[in-house]
Amino acid sequence: MRRTALAPSAALREPAPAGRDGVRAQVLANGLQVILWPVHHIPSIALNLWVRAGSRNERPGITGLAHFFEHMMFNGTRSRGPGEFDRLMEAQGGANNAFTSDDVTVYEDWFPAHALELVLELEADRVAHLAFAPELIESERGVVASERRLRVEDNNHGLLAERVQAAAFTVHPYRFATIGSPQDIRAWRLEDLQEFYRTYYAPNNLTLTLAGDFDTETAVRLVRRYFEPIAAQPSPTPVREREPPQGEERRVTLRRKVQTPLVQCAYKAPAAADERASAIHLLMSVLMEGDASRLHRALVEEQQVAIEVGGHWQEGFDPGLLWLSMTLPHDTPPERALAALDAELERVLEAGVTQAELERARNLAIVGFWKRLATIDGKAHLLGEYAVFHSQWAELFEEPRRLAEVTREQLRGVAADILAPRQRTVGILAPNGARSRVRP
Amino acid sequence: MVRVPAHERLVLANGATLILLPRRDVPLLACQALLRGGSVSDPPTLPGVASLVAALLEKGAGARDAYAFAETVEGAGGSFAAAAGPEAISLRSQFLARDQDLMLELLADALRTPRLAANEFEHLRSRQIEFIKAVKDSEPAELIDAYGRALVFCGHPYAQPVHGSESSLARITHAEVLEYHRAQFGADRLILVLAGDLDMRQAERAVSAAIASWPRAGVRASLPSSPPSAPRVLLVDAPGAAQTHFWLGTTGVDRHYPRRAALDLVNTLFGGRFTSLLNAELRIKSGLSYGARSSFVRGSVAGEFAIRSFVETAKTVRAIRLALQALERLHHEGVSAEMLASARAYTLGQYALGLETAADWAGALAEIEFFGLGTRYIDDYPDRLAEVDPDAARAVIAEAFPTPDRLTLAVIGDAERIAEQLSEFGPVDSMRLTDPDFSPGALAHEALA
Repeated sequence: MRRTALAPSAALREPAPAGRDGVRAQVLANGLQVILWPVHHIPSIALNLWVRAGSRNERPGITGLAHFFEHMMFNGTRSRGPGEFDRLMEAQGGANNAFTSDDVTVYEDWFPAHALELVLELEADRVAHLAFAPELIESERGVVASERRLRVEDNNHGLLAERVQAAAFTVHPYRFATIGSPQDIRAWRLEDLQEFYRTYYAPNNLTLTLAGDFDTETAVRLVRRYFEPIAAQPSPTPVREREPPQGEERRVTLRRKVQTPLVQCAYKAPAAADERASAIHLLMSVLMEGDASRLHRALVEEQQVAIEVGGHWQEGFDPGLLWLSMTLPHDTPPERALAALDAELERVLEAGVTQAELERARNLAIVGFWKRLATIDGKAHLLGEYAVFHSQWAELFEEPRRLAEVTREQLRGVAADILAPRQRTVGILAPNGARSRVRP
Repeated sequence: MVRVPAHERLVLANGATLILLPRRDVPLLACQALLRGGSVSDPPTLPGVASLVAALLEKGAGARDAYAFAETVEGAGGSFAAAAGPEAISLRSQFLARDQDLMLELLADALRTPRLAANEFEHLRSRQIEFIKAVKDSEPAELIDAYGRALVFCGHPYAQPVHGSESSLARITHAEVLEYHRAQFGADRLILVLAGDLDMRQAERAVSAAIASWPRAGVRASLPSSPPSAPRVLLVDAPGAAQTHFWLGTTGVDRHYPRRAALDLVNTLFGGRFTSLLNAELRIKSGLSYGARSSFVRGSVAGEFAIRSFVETAKTVRAIRLALQALERLHHEGVSAEMLASARAYTLGQYALGLETAADWAGALAEIEFFGLGTRYIDDYPDRLAEVDPDAARAVIAEAFPTPDRLTLAVIGDAERIAEQLSEFGPVDSMRLTDPDFSPGALAHEALA
């Protein structure tokens, strides 16, 4: 991630939003997918460029390369020196960011309407003509190492999650941390970067979305002017690894100089495009969204074995993980909190959820969806998510229907499918010298 | 260009201010309430009271206990979040437009008849103490402002941590929370903005009915005097930390500072965007850090100007020097007309994006009302930005940007590896990250004297 922390993609759901008829999508001759959503409530535009490459496309020795590449995309092209991208964009009123996940790398720009041509030119230039100045590679290694210290080495949540993820997968590249191992961060060579660029930064591997204050015809013309000359490349080799079924619970235990213990449970979960997606989102919401959620109420308010519960479903191209995590008060043994969590999950498996809980989750999902649609940034992002992970941007507009159709039985069904201890990895981070046994 | 949308403003007989702004792009209704008071009204030795009161507003009100309140909010898909700031308690809420009446009922209950139950108080208080420990474990940078302010504003209310410290929270009693609500809550303290897919007449009637009979607060809202500041160096020891977080700050300017446009442009250039002088030195050119920024906190009186960054432990001193040199250079070289043009375009371009949704406008209008700035604060901003030339920038640099010798330094890092080197910046006071306050004993004592 380049500048700001971005949570893993949040749930998407909701009733039919206006504007669908205004959306225009096309695929250029070189394979670039372009989706445009004109709206005019502010004189600004949000642009997303989705690259179908993340740490899922790495191998031992080059872990972290997708993320490092994201940084290099800001460091100059054949015709523009290092820093020119940001200088030109900021001088026209634009700002930008980017993030990398297991599955994708996404570049985001937010700018005034008059800067559209400049921004498209800048984006196309770095997709077509990136430069790899050796001194910048070295300096950027330092920046990424700093980011790693911030998010992993000095952050216990990040550190534990990295270890849990590494234990949860034995074969699939989801076992690599997106930020990369410290050894690999120091070790990539120029050739690794060039090969990655050729393979994944090809128009046929990209989706470009725009939402905001533009005229569609003009925008299409400009996109074609700058992106059409970029040649298509052979499709990247598909990721073929399939993680074998887990079969038994795995454990990771860390001891650190901390006051508050952490517990993370990562369950094997389906891919983003799974037909049970809406039910999974709603189940997560029933469990841990808000003060009235099951786990918050039981573990934080009533039993007080946690000060915070959270979780997310890591939705990707391949089956991934669904996380439930707890931060504990300093004097609570992790095994006690874990037992309390398990008892609550057991109740869900046995008795399911109530209709009121389902409706609550549905309403929270609806408001969340509208909040995202209220901004050009949210629109550009939703279009990208649906196009990339669900193969169909228009599916975005069907989510309300899918959401309305989810039943209590389906929630109980996905709970039974996913929340089984034998297909989870439990991570525990406990204070140094704590006497309590971590494993019961 | 961004202009304040048409809205209605009315002041009730009891002093409450109500602002309504219709906007119908999505079927949502956003509310922003500000209640004057906040942590500057905390008892002098007990920071964290206002923060606990704010958090308790969500923990049961009117006919609903904590769970029923949460269930009602979330059952409708809504949100409701209260938090204390230095000068106000802020309440933010968002609901589907169809739930307008419900939202207003919950809001009025939370303000007028919060339960402030003893068991909820005890639990929240102990949870808040644990949260501070958890943040110290994993995200100490979140706390560096608290350490920096304790140093810079020593003896002034701004020195106190808004959300309390482990030690102050442990000393706060339920009685103090009840007393804060009795004295500091009342209609004359309230600014309430509703924005979104709104039934204007119905909203006005409903709010008036809910708020008109609310008495004024027991006491007048007090404002702190201008804070002092004297340069100091504090090292907060985090043994084994892989990196150092640092904060360089001193008293800045207040919200009514007349040269705001020039201030914004110069800070954008110095530490407010990716290509800023600071980020160029610490990230772009040197690869030392993931990022470095500067900002002004501008309240009714001046808060701090501060530079914040972080760096690998071994490079701590080099990074701090670079930050100080960047500030030195700002004073010597000023900024060019070309730089100002870029900053102006950037500021204007990003400004529109911050005023996009009904919730954005609710926040902006509440702030304008709170500080008495008037809508021209937004409407005339582009014109003010256009007037800034290099001379105006030079004036604002001299007046509002401190010279490096005035800065206080707060550092969170591994003392064993950096303590000695830090003495080049002045005599170093030390404490441990796990200490239950945000200032070493001597300073805390002074602050109370």
